[in-house]
Amino acid sequence: MIKKIMAFWSRLNAFETNNPDDARRGRLLNILLGGTFLLSILIFLATITLLSIYSAWGQQGVNLIFLALIICGVGCLLLLWLNQHSPRLAGMLFLLLLSTAFVFSDTPFELSNGRSSFVFFITIAVSSLILFPAGSFLFAIINTIIVIYLALISKTVPNPTVIAGFYLLALISWLSSRSLEQALRELRSINANLDKLVQERTQALAEALARERFQAGRDEAILNSIADGVIVFDKNLTSLLANPAIVNLLNMPSGNIVGQNARELLISESLPEKSKGILLELLENPRRTEESLRLEWEKKTLSVSAAPVSDAEGEQIGTVAVFRDFTREAEIERMKSTFVAIVSHELRTPLNAILGYAEMIKETVYGTINEKQKNATERIMSNTQRLLSIVSDLLDQAQIEAGKLRIKVDSFEPAELLESVHGVMDKITADANLKLSSNVDSALPENLLGDFHRLQQILINLINNSVKFTSEGEIQMHLFRNGQTHWGMEVRDTGVGIPEAEIPHIFETFRQVDSTPSRQYGGIGLGLAIVKQLVELMQGEIIVKSQQGQGSSFTIILPLNTVENSKETTYE
Amino acid sequence: MNNTALVIEDDFDLANIFAEATKAAGFDTEIIQDGLLAQTRLKKSHPGLVVLDMHLPHVDGSELLSQIHSDPSLKDTTIIIATADALMGDMYYEQADLVLVKPISFTQLRDLTSRLKLRK
Repeated sequence: MIKKIMAFWSRLNAFETNNPDDARRGRLLNILLGGTFLLSILIFLATITLLSIYSAWGQQGVNLIFLALIICGVGCLLLLWLNQHSPRLAGMLFLLLLSTAFVFSDTPFELSNGRSSFVFFITIAVSSLILFPAGSFLFAIINTIIVIYLALISKTVPNPTVIAGFYLLALISWLSSRSLEQALRELRSINANLDKLVQERTQALAEALARERFQAGRDEAILNSIADGVIVFDKNLTSLLANPAIVNLLNMPSGNIVGQNARELLISESLPEKSKGILLELLENPRRTEESLRLEWEKKTLSVSAAPVSDAEGEQIGTVAVFRDFTREAEIERMKSTFVAIVSHELRTPLNAILGYAEMIKETVYGTINEKQKNATERIMSNTQRLLSIVSDLLDQAQIEAGKLRIKVDSFEPAELLESVHGVMDKITADANLKLSSNVDSALPENLLGDFHRLQQILINLINNSVKFTSEGEIQMHLFRNGQTHWGMEVRDTGVGIPEAEIPHIFETFRQVDSTPSRQYGGIGLGLAIVKQLVELMQGEIIVKSQQGQGSSFTIILPLNTVENSKETTYE
Repeated sequence: MNNTALVIEDDFDLANIFAEATKAAGFDTEIIQDGLLAQTRLKKSHPGLVVLDMHLPHVDGSELLSQIHSDPSLKDTTIIIATADALMGDMYYEQADLVLVKPISFTQLRDLTSRLKLRK
């Protein structure tokens, strides 16, 4: 019951209007009307009680009291209904009815000039609240008219103080009501701003949350879908995260990976000790630029790279390791090396036969030949030699790539090295109208340690390269000492030189500066690549200086190992 | 030095060239193209020079090499290994008088063997 009344009351108070002041006035009027209604019921009940107690039902005016109370109660209900539709009109009617009711509350004299004239203050004060701020003046005027009229009826003069009081109260009501409304308006605008701000923040927060969820979902989707295995380690190398690919790659259940320390993870596996060491080293000191390392894991070849994970301040907080199945690639690499080695071998045997037969014809094993026939056999021989050297280069390259080429260190004399190079290259340089000269720095020890044949190959390849790009002038070989710990070999020519932009690329395999089909210079572009790789195998370095049109110089610096200061060392 | 030479090489053309080179150096040369044949031949004859290819059908060059070394009647035989693989050449360096890495030229083998012949 009470609940229903309360619900009805809140429905009455729910004014659908854009002006919050109207709603406020409507609610205020509701309260006044409701209060009056309740008051009339209470008075009604009290009257019945009193009349019953004193058995005064027959008193004069009882009927009038009941009539007035019923009119009051019904009037309130009607006005409540009207208030729902037109609060302004209902308010006006309520105040007019109130003023009219006051007219009958006392004698006209008392109302206009005596004790009861104050009742008119009520409508003036209330009007500014339930109509509009300046409504108090309207009721001050109405009440003035009423008071003057009542004074005329009672044949007295209206009390000027009361009338002045009307206007003073109207002024005060107007001012206070106006400032109240203003304050409320400001409060509402502050509230509105606050609401807007809260809404904006809520929206932004919701968007950020959605973004984060999306990001997290996407990261997880990427991590789960990539073929590479990923493990994230914390600072102590305990794994925090592993994606599905790593489970397949390592052939371990993810439970055995996540939560494990890298050291335990490695110990439990039958990895070669060397691989374990290298992997731990990589995980402990991850570098973004470091090349990935190869690892034999069970029957697979894995390539592993690791990068540090840093927080916003740049402090390393962990390591992410990426494992890639390299088995297929490694197999292809092996097959490629084997293929090249077999092909080279199978090519060399018939080439050797061609060379041999040509030589035998030239050496008149099969009878005398004329000058033209001799020339032709020489052409066959020199072309076969060219083919053979290409095949040798391919074989060397394949061996270097397969890591099979070994540097064999032995004692040799620098002068002997130059002599052997002269033996091979003198004829070739002479045929190209070039002079080949050489000298040995006297500071160089008489005996050096190194791979004689590979050093010879380096010099021959460099000179061959110079011959190709030098049309006139000379090629110089120079062996020298470079400080206490190193020695060097230099090949200098007077050729076309190398464009500066090309210098970084000349050591790439199958590379020529002019790589167009109509290129001017022959060769398959392996000579310098092999030189570089041999020098690296010997733990040396190569320096190229060139000026276009002026010639080039290739300088190779190698660690100085002499018979005295070195044990037998073999680089692999 | 015994004037006979044995060229053990499965490739017909190379065997021919090696034979011509040794003949030009003054040897009386015989060609064998099969490992198994070479094994039986070496038991009967005692050549002064053997030119040995390491890749042979049926019986490998390394086996022939140890057979020669274990046979006292062949202790004066000069051994020249002809191999296509430089790495393999290094392995047998100690077990031969000369290791030649293919391609081997006619004149190279002719001049080397004639010098060997003169020395001994």
